[in-house]
Amino acid sequence: MDFIFYFGEVFTFTSMLLLIGGTIGGLIMGATPGLSPTMTVALLIPFTFNMTPVHGLILLGAAYTSTVAGGAVSAILLKIPGAPANIATTLDGNAMARKGEGAKALQLSFIASLIGGIFGVFLLIFLTPVLAKMANSFGYSHTFWLAIIGVTVIGSLEAGSVVKGLLSGCIGMWLATIGFDDIQGVKRFVFHPAIAGGVNIIPALIGLFAIPQVITMFAKGRFQNDIEQIQVKKHPIAKAFQEVFSRKRALIIGTSIGSLIGLIPGVGGQIAGLLAYDQAKKFSPEKKKFGTGHSEGVIAAESANNAMVGPSLVPLLTLSIPGSPTAAVLLGGLIIHGIFPGPTLFQQYPEVIWPFINSMLIGQILMCIFGIYIASLAARVAQVPQFIMAAIVLGLAAFGSFAVQQSMGDVYVMVVLGTMMYFLERFGFSAAPLVLGLILGPIAESNFVTGSLISTAQNGPFVYFFTGGLNILLVSIVILSVGFSIWSEINTKRQS
Amino acid sequence: MKKIIAALAVSLIGISGVAKAEYPERPVLLMIPYGAGGATDFQARIATIPAGNDDMLGMPVAIINKPGAGGRVGWNWFANNAEKDGYTMGGYNVPHFIAQSIKGGVDYSTDSFEPIANWGSDPAVFVVGKDSNFNSMSDVVDFAKANPGKLTFSGAGLFVGHHIAALQIEKAAGVKMLYIPNKSGGAGAMKAVISGEVLAGVNNLSDAFRAQKAGTIKILGVADLERNAFLPDVPTMMEQGLDVDNTSVNFRGVMVPKGTPQAVIDKLASVVPEMFKHKRVAQKMKAGGSPMKIMNRAEVLDMWAKRQTTLEELLKGL
Amino acid sequence: MNIFQHKLSSGFVAGLAFIVCYISFTRQPSDAYLFPRVISVFFLTLSLWTFFKALLGLSKAGNGLTLNMFRNMLPGMLISSIYLFFAAKFLGFYTATAIAFFLLLTAYDPESYSSVNSWVKRIIITACFIAIMYTLFAKILVVYTPRGMFI
Repeated sequence: MDFIFYFGEVFTFTSMLLLIGGTIGGLIMGATPGLSPTMTVALLIPFTFNMTPVHGLILLGAAYTSTVAGGAVSAILLKIPGAPANIATTLDGNAMARKGEGAKALQLSFIASLIGGIFGVFLLIFLTPVLAKMANSFGYSHTFWLAIIGVTVIGSLEAGSVVKGLLSGCIGMWLATIGFDDIQGVKRFVFHPAIAGGVNIIPALIGLFAIPQVITMFAKGRFQNDIEQIQVKKHPIAKAFQEVFSRKRALIIGTSIGSLIGLIPGVGGQIAGLLAYDQAKKFSPEKKKFGTGHSEGVIAAESANNAMVGPSLVPLLTLSIPGSPTAAVLLGGLIIHGIFPGPTLFQQYPEVIWPFINSMLIGQILMCIFGIYIASLAARVAQVPQFIMAAIVLGLAAFGSFAVQQSMGDVYVMVVLGTMMYFLERFGFSAAPLVLGLILGPIAESNFVTGSLISTAQNGPFVYFFTGGLNILLVSIVILSVGFSIWSEINTKRQS
Repeated sequence: MKKIIAALAVSLIGISGVAKAEYPERPVLLMIPYGAGGATDFQARIATIPAGNDDMLGMPVAIINKPGAGGRVGWNWFANNAEKDGYTMGGYNVPHFIAQSIKGGVDYSTDSFEPIANWGSDPAVFVVGKDSNFNSMSDVVDFAKANPGKLTFSGAGLFVGHHIAALQIEKAAGVKMLYIPNKSGGAGAMKAVISGEVLAGVNNLSDAFRAQKAGTIKILGVADLERNAFLPDVPTMMEQGLDVDNTSVNFRGVMVPKGTPQAVIDKLASVVPEMFKHKRVAQKMKAGGSPMKIMNRAEVLDMWAKRQTTLEELLKGL
Repeated sequence: MNIFQHKLSSGFVAGLAFIVCYISFTRQPSDAYLFPRVISVFFLTLSLWTFFKALLGLSKAGNGLTLNMFRNMLPGMLISSIYLFFAAKFLGFYTATAIAFFLLLTAYDPESYSSVNSWVKRIIITACFIAIMYTLFAKILVVYTPRGMFI
């Protein structure tokens, strides 16, 4: 309960100013395609050099939480996920915005983020020692199986045909192998210098989601007679709160999966939203509504990706192991002030760490307030005429993908992948499974290769990958997940 | 219309022509071939804090990260695509890029780059988990002798400083161990040691120093010629009877692509070492547990040449 | 028409899968291609399945393309590719973006070209967009975009 005594530090004038500034700035950064949470935090680090450690960390904490939530804005309004964490939000969130329910979708996503986020930070406050042990027990074989669990989600992302969904996933996994093999250092599939460095995930994400939309708008032509005028509906905030709390199942699934997955170094943040979305769909009696603008989809995805923020810091704060790229950057922000994370961190520097964690709690609330405040205004984006939207999305995509590594090669990759995706989408392939393959491919590969290497010094790969409680548990989840997909596929076929 | 464009173009060229006399007239990029938050990135961000001061470059230095394949992605880009006007600098890590160029399959070598200055030297250290039975390098060597190929130890990748140290240790002790390169670099390699996935590891002194303070690992030896100021109690490999010199010490510094105008190189070579010597840089580096070693252009050129010969020798048999 | 398009698209994917598979199994060192081999086998199997389904005329997912859509998207695609692949480096990122942005608006604005108001409107929108991008990326984030003849 120590943390309560350190709230005073958060409510000083300077701290509040930094919190508010960090939150608003973070929301804007998060909403801009291409500016991921990692990049935002890295950009802010130099500013914290001149601050006291407490102030610096308050700024970083506020920016981290709000960029994750801000990614939902572009995911919902523009169908461009700001970061991999927001892919699942595009599925139902954007469908809602297209129906004129953008304000509702944004409110739901911010409220769900708030609830998930606060739960995650409370886990960090109360259960850190337990969670640290859990995070530490995840080895190469377990991370490999976790990636495979992620692959099984592909079945439920696909509206058209399961085979084409899996095929899209395969294309994504292949794209991920382009460039240098990380372990051997051998060039693979490099047929053009622009991809010598591999397919970078953020430009690919922007291209795969943004470019097909731009081309779709082009394809409608100059005189878009058949365009329906979207009525942007107002949505009272009280109703949004009611809605979130009446969707308890989605909220609980999202929050618990998000905070569990967030713990696991290396995978967590990127797939928490998708896994939660998949589970929420599987447990929902209204499966068919998913993907058409169902509020459960938004709630599950967004509560999951903010619930992951708190636990994702556990390995960092207790073991000094950054579990995600963003955590790695935060580590830099800590050690620049001579604060070394470790098991004794909370005893050694309570006056720095508790205000930092508290600021993430307050930051969540501020983020939700500002988010809801802009929601009804931001939802008007849906009313912008299509031809203006097409030009803006193209421009944003170009700037966003360039800014990631300041490289034109990334812009070329973005536009080529996006154009291919447009044509593939016309024939039942889809972007979400492809991106999932792109994210999970490298995780599966490196953990598989490293795991097999280690197993040669032990009892061989079979023992390494298939024995031990955690491995068996994860393998059974894979089997259950695939089995359930096949079963429900057969069921729907029989019904129709 | 055409006239206006032509006039504009001429005036723009004119402006940039004049401005070239006073390099730099805009922010300078520094490409770091490792991810944001890693030791190299972190130190580069600290080392370039004073760049904007009037007596330094007078312009800020912006860091861009191009991570992948142990630095190969970034350095390939730097050798092939970086503009040679002095506005794109790159971070180097020795022995990494030299070892990779000797191994082959990359588009760079020491001849592709012009060093500017060196800011840090981070020796490789041998680490084991805090509950490990190994308490000295001789314990490790004894185990490896009894169980050839069974002692797993992690490091940041192939043909980087950690791998070089690993090769040297194996050679000096005359044993066969199993080196496990890690995709997520030094941090991932350290995690494997802490969680017991591998029996031991080679890692950066700066990261190991922090982990040791946190009480999650033990440091058994330093692969350098003398003990390090951060770890006065940890013996070197030589002291423990292993003939391992300082070849694997990770030197970090700044370079520009070959073909950059000599005037720009001279300007950078005189300013950048001063920038590294700045009081605030030293203070932040010390706080972060990052050992500094400032070397000027001539010293770095000499160091590169020496490393080239030793590494060629070491990697000959592979 | 539609069935032919399905054959074409799945044939293209199957061809890609075949190439990937071929490269994965022939290139050395084989250690580095272990994972691509596993994937490409799945990739090829699934793509052949869809290809044969398309040959039998059983593909239903997706709506295909019409000639009209191609005609409509042509100007947009042309402007975008010239913008990104050529003008961005030749003219400079901001100049190219401004020109491409304005041309795209002009090409797809349903309002009559004889109305002066619509031209003014398009110019204002372009100027606002560029101003926001410039402040955000050049001023706040210090992103150095390619410069050609102009900025």
